[in-house]
Amino acid sequence: MTATLTTPTDQRGPSRASRVRALATAETRLLLRNRTAVVNSVLLPLLLVAAIPFLGIGEDIAGFGPTLVISGAAVALVFLVYYNTVTTFVARREDLTLQRMRTGELTGLEVLVATAAPSVLIALGQVLLTGVGVLAIGRWEAPTEYVLPLVALFAGAVLVVLLGAVSTAFTRTPESAQVTTFPFVMIALLLSGLMIPLASMPDQLAQVARLLPMTPVVELLRLGLAGQAWDGATVDAAGAWAAGLQPLGVLVAWLLLGSLAARRWFRWAPRR
Amino acid sequence: MAVPTAPAPAPAGTARSTAPAVEVVDLQRRYGDFTAVRGISFEVHPGEVFALLGVNGAGKTSALEVLEGLADPDGGSVRVLGADPVAERARVRPHLGVLLQSSGLPGDLTVAETVRTWGRTLTAPRPVDEALDQVGLTGRADVRVRSLSGGERRRLDLALALLGRPSVVVLDEPTTGLDPESRRQVWRLVQDMVAGGAAVVLTTHHLEEAEELADRVAVLKAGQIVLSGTQAEIAETQPATIRFTLDEGAPLPPQPAGVQVVSTAPRVEWHTRALQPVLADLLGWAARHGVVLHALHARAASLEQAFLAVADGTHDAA
Repeated sequence: MTATLTTPTDQRGPSRASRVRALATAETRLLLRNRTAVVNSVLLPLLLVAAIPFLGIGEDIAGFGPTLVISGAAVALVFLVYYNTVTTFVARREDLTLQRMRTGELTGLEVLVATAAPSVLIALGQVLLTGVGVLAIGRWEAPTEYVLPLVALFAGAVLVVLLGAVSTAFTRTPESAQVTTFPFVMIALLLSGLMIPLASMPDQLAQVARLLPMTPVVELLRLGLAGQAWDGATVDAAGAWAAGLQPLGVLVAWLLLGSLAARRWFRWAPRR
Repeated sequence: MAVPTAPAPAPAGTARSTAPAVEVVDLQRRYGDFTAVRGISFEVHPGEVFALLGVNGAGKTSALEVLEGLADPDGGSVRVLGADPVAERARVRPHLGVLLQSSGLPGDLTVAETVRTWGRTLTAPRPVDEALDQVGLTGRADVRVRSLSGGERRRLDLALALLGRPSVVVLDEPTTGLDPESRRQVWRLVQDMVAGGAAVVLTTHHLEEAEELADRVAVLKAGQIVLSGTQAEIAETQPATIRFTLDEGAPLPPQPAGVQVVSTAPRVEWHTRALQPVLADLLGWAARHGVVLHALHARAASLEQAFLAVADGTHDAA
C-alpha cells in the first residue's frame, strides 16, 4: 500500500525564507518595470528630500535634521508602503495571481510578505538616504535613543502592510485605492503629530489622536531621534523609554488588531 | 505517517494493488443557503485519470477546491495521499499540482522568469528548459507573459502546475480555449504523467477529451453524481443507435422486438439495447429482399449520448 506521503528525507524543500525571497525578487523586478511605480515610490521622494536644502524651509528651527528624518520615515511608510501594499494586493487579487500563488507550496503569509517586501525595502532605503542627506547638509544630530526609532520603523512597516491588507477588503480595483486609502492617509498626516504637533492640539483631541495607528510610530521616532515627547517636553534616553511605554502599547494593540482584521477580511479571489 | 484509509470497493473488473491517491467521501459544500456539492464520493488511484463532467454550475469547481486545499468541506472528507489537504497542507502540497479554471500571472515577467520564480518555491522543481519544452513554449521563453496568446498562457499555467513533478494532479478545464493542436499536446502530457504513475483528476466540457483521457468518469448534476463508472459502463446505460435511409417504394423492414423507433421511412432511426442481434436480423432481411440500406450507421452508445441524456434530464426538471 503506497500512495501515501513519501517525502524523501533527502529532498527537503526550500526554506520559508528562500521561498519568500524568490517571490520578492520577482515582485521587485515587476516594480522596477512599472515606470509609474518607480517614479512615485523611488524618484519623487528622493527629489523631495534633495530639494529641501534649496528651498530653505525651516532651516533655522532647532532639530531640523531629526525632523526631516522623522518626516521622511513617516511619509515613506504611509505613501509608499501602505499605498503600494493596497494597490499591489488588489491588482494581484483581481488578475487572479494571488489565488494561483496559493496553489503551490507557498503559504498565504509568505505570499503576503513577499508581495509587500519590495515596498518595505525601498522605504527603508529612503529613510537611510534621508539620513545620509541630512548628514550631508550638516544637520545631523545624534539621536537620544536608537532602539525606539528602529522599533517604530520596523513595527510601523508591519502595521501599514497589515492595514493595507485590511484596506483591500473595501478596494475593488487598483485605481479605486486612491479613494479607499484616503481616510488612513489623512489620519496619518493630520492626527499623528507629523504635520500638526500633538502639543498644539486641544488636550482631549491629542489624547484621542495618540490612540490612532500612525501616532505611536511618529511619537517613538520623535522620542528617539529628537529626544522630544508628544507634549513637547525634552527627554533623555531613560525619559524616552518612560514616555515610550504608552505608544509602544498602542502600537502592539494596533498590530494585534490589524492582524486579526486582515485574517478576517482579506480575500484571495475577486468577489464574483 | 499517512493515516491508513480503508479502500472502498474497486470498480468491477479492475484489480487495485494500491491505495487511492485521492479519496472523496460524501463531500458537501454550501454557500449560505445554496448547496453546491451534495455529498459526492469518488476515488482516484495512481496511474489513473478521473474526469468530472457536468454543465456549468454543476459543482465541479466547488468540489475541486477542496481537493486543492483551497477550501474546507462543509461535510464529508477529502484525503489526498492519505492526508487532509487543508490541515496537512505542508505535507500534501509538494506532491500536488493544481491548474485552476482561471488564474492570473503578472504580465510584466517573461515566461522563463515566471517559471524560474515558481520553481524556486517548490521542493523538487523541473529545470526551466524541460518545463518549457514540455508545453512547447521554449521559443517564447523571453516573451513577457502579457504578450502571450490565450492558448500560450494556458500552456504556461499547465507548465507551472506540473513544475513540481506532482504525483496528484488536479486540472480544472485544462484545455478550454486551446486550439486543437495544443489540446492534443496537453492530452499527451497528461498521458505521460499517468504513465509515470500520477493520479489525475480533471474537469472538462469536452466529452471528446474525457473519452480520450479518462479511465473513469463521473457526471455531476446539481451537486450530485448521477452517473459514474468506466466509459463502457456509462455508455451501457444508454441504448445503441441504428440509422439507415430507404429508397422510395422500398418495403419496410419488420420491426424487431426490443427496438424503439425514433423515426420511420425513408430515414429510419432505431434505438436498441441488443445491437448485434437486431443488426443481424436487419442485414439478413435486407439481403433476402434485395433492399439497399443507404448510409447505414450502427453505433453503441457513446459517453456523449449518456451525458446529453443526463443534461436533458436537467432541462426537463427545470
